[in-house]
Amino acid sequence: MEGGTTAPGTELPLVVRDLRVEYGEKVAVRELSLEVRPGEVYGLLGSNGAGKSSTMRCVVGLIRPKHGSVQVFGFDPGLDPVLVKQRVGYVPETPLLFDALTPWEFLEFIANVRGLGVDWATQRALGYADALQVRAELNQPIATLSMGTKQKFLLIAAFLHQPRLLVLDEPFNNLDPRSVRIMKELIGQYVQDGRRGVLFSTHTMEVAQQLCHRVGILDHGVLKGEGDVATLRANLARGDATLEEIFLRLTDEEEGVRAAVRSLGGG
Amino acid sequence: MSWTLARRLAERGYRELTFQAIYAYRQGNLASTVASEQLVARARRRVLESKVLVAGVFGVISLGSILILSPSVEHVFGGGMPRGLYVGAVVSALLLLDLVLLWWMGLQVLPTFLASGIGSCFETLPVDPTTLDRAALIMFLRLFDVPAGTMLILTPLAIGIALGSPIAALALVPAVLTVIVFALLFSLKASQFFVERVQGSGGGGQRTAARWAFLVAWSVPAFSIYGFLALSGDFLGWLSGLANQGSLGALYAVFTVFPMSFAMLPVYAAGLPIIGVNATDVYGPVVAIAASVAYLALFVAAAGWLAQAPRRLYLTTMPASVNATGASIAFVRRSRPMAVLVKDLRIASRTPPFALLVILPLLDALAVGVFTFVSTPVSRDVFRVGVAAVSTAALLATFFGPAFFAIEVIGYSYTRALPVAPRSLLVGKVLLVACVYLAAAGVVLALTAARLFSPALFAAFAAAELPAIVAAAMVEFGILIRRSERKGLQVVNLYASAWSAMLVAIPGLFIAGAPFVVFNLLSGATNWVALEAMALTSLIALSLALQFFIRIERPRGAA
Repeated sequence: MEGGTTAPGTELPLVVRDLRVEYGEKVAVRELSLEVRPGEVYGLLGSNGAGKSSTMRCVVGLIRPKHGSVQVFGFDPGLDPVLVKQRVGYVPETPLLFDALTPWEFLEFIANVRGLGVDWATQRALGYADALQVRAELNQPIATLSMGTKQKFLLIAAFLHQPRLLVLDEPFNNLDPRSVRIMKELIGQYVQDGRRGVLFSTHTMEVAQQLCHRVGILDHGVLKGEGDVATLRANLARGDATLEEIFLRLTDEEEGVRAAVRSLGGG
Repeated sequence: MSWTLARRLAERGYRELTFQAIYAYRQGNLASTVASEQLVARARRRVLESKVLVAGVFGVISLGSILILSPSVEHVFGGGMPRGLYVGAVVSALLLLDLVLLWWMGLQVLPTFLASGIGSCFETLPVDPTTLDRAALIMFLRLFDVPAGTMLILTPLAIGIALGSPIAALALVPAVLTVIVFALLFSLKASQFFVERVQGSGGGGQRTAARWAFLVAWSVPAFSIYGFLALSGDFLGWLSGLANQGSLGALYAVFTVFPMSFAMLPVYAAGLPIIGVNATDVYGPVVAIAASVAYLALFVAAAGWLAQAPRRLYLTTMPASVNATGASIAFVRRSRPMAVLVKDLRIASRTPPFALLVILPLLDALAVGVFTFVSTPVSRDVFRVGVAAVSTAALLATFFGPAFFAIEVIGYSYTRALPVAPRSLLVGKVLLVACVYLAAAGVVLALTAARLFSPALFAAFAAAELPAIVAAAMVEFGILIRRSERKGLQVVNLYASAWSAMLVAIPGLFIAGAPFVVFNLLSGATNWVALEAMALTSLIALSLALQFFIRIERPRGAA
């Protein structure tokens, strides 16, 4: 449903080049480069504070990088913020919304600022609300909802306009297993038309392994490894490694984990 | 049970509270890229600046009373009434203003207190309930420390100076303490009511109407400022009449009413007469003291209630009604600016500080309208009433308008990812201010129609000023939008970055005020010519503001 034109010759949903994000003296992301290709779910993995959320905020234009570039279907979020935001559906890490609105009022606002047809948007919103079992909460103020329910409405808002790029920052936080399953299926189907892309961050290696076509492993703002699981296994010369083992090896945390368990194990 | 531990907890809590008051991360504001240590220090400084600013307003009011109690001003307003009675009336007004302003500040501040979430953090600690009560109380009192402290020192001092009596100053101290405690009590009670009945209220037309009705009811104190100011002349005249008639019984009855009872204490302490020489005031001091003692008993009870109320407030849960949404519901199609406008009104309907921004100009219009009914002699000069009505509505809408921008802070870390161009945002906010102004003008028009039936003239005044209102709002919000793009969004209210709100309102007030200045300059000639000149000035202001609007960048893809 999103409109607008695509810059000629740039069909990639997302291209990030040499991205650097700083908070005062702290460097959150160091010269990061990655691409999300059409029809791909790209998983950004990393420990807490690895720079995943900062990267995603740059992609949707919430913060400006110190240097480097971001292109969403050829458009720069800094130069063409509206064109980028029309093409993106975003779920932030924390569901902090308009507490004083009801989800229905919130979704109506989203539909209006995105210029969606009201009948079409109403049907989509109700369909998602039924699927995620939150229809009864549509008329309650968001302040009174649980974190999981708020997260569901954020997901509905992100999917509402059928964006060409989904940027999902820990989207399954607080969700019940049923909803996680539904969303995993939906995200998998979402890119099957071969035009859309998904940038996805998670701490859960199982989810990443099931859902992502490729993953990038971030550690202290640096991309330590990238590719599909088979490629990463091959690079590490460990054909049977799980994604969790690959992650720990690439972030040099294997020994750290063992040491932590040893020191705390007796306690 | 430990006051030391409570103070330590409150110190930590207050630091978080000031941080959230300015940066509102728990309300979804976008995280700053500035180092966090700088942010914490900056937040404390800005909150302190805002408190000093509000304290300055209290100071001006208190010290202004010295001028109002001077013989030359008394000669103008007192109308020959006994000095004691005049002083009592002025001190009453002063106490009432202090009460209302502190209550109003409380309504602005307490949502920040609740949104900081600090209370729920303390509840998980292994600390006894009494210490938690005390910590919450200390944090709560720190919200008001500088303004309330200023009031406590300057109000008695000013009255003492005006009356040349240190004893009169001391006699007023219990009154100011009572005013402070009552104001805090009303703020807490109102906030508790909002949490229980307003903020958790679901969607739908009936519920929205009920919420606005509650909000209007709780805004009456603010209305009482205008009511009191509008009726003060009549009140003084009435008191003067009682004194001249020697109606001591009626005067004693007035002395039992809060805050008049307290206001009479410095009068009697300074030995000022309340009645002409032909009568003797024997029981006045007894009545005033007895009534004051009764109010002091209420003060003690209120103070006891206050000791536990702040913690009770943040433990209050918001009730949620489960109402299955039927299949017939459908989104309503709106343009982007209208979507912003409706969103703001919906948020205001569940958020008292924002609701007040809508309600105050309307209540003010109501006061002006009612004033035309009660004023004596009746002003038959329709132009004069028209200017008064339209100018107050215009200036209030322009002054409070910028505070609507603070709504954008809520959920900003999400909403900034939406394709809303700055121009759409600006047009939405300007529409909101214009709607508030037109509604206020409509209230005056409706009320005055019964007394001074001249709808065409009132409509002409409202229409003549409208372009200037739009221009003023355009400039104010334009400045705020540009500033937010450079420095990030900030909460702006009486407690947080109040300077920003004041500064940005100054150009707006000049623009909105210019047409009235032109009208007043030319009204000596012909009123209709002056009105035409007013409209022309207003249109010029709009055309200049449009130049500013055009310079706001329109991103590609923006509708």
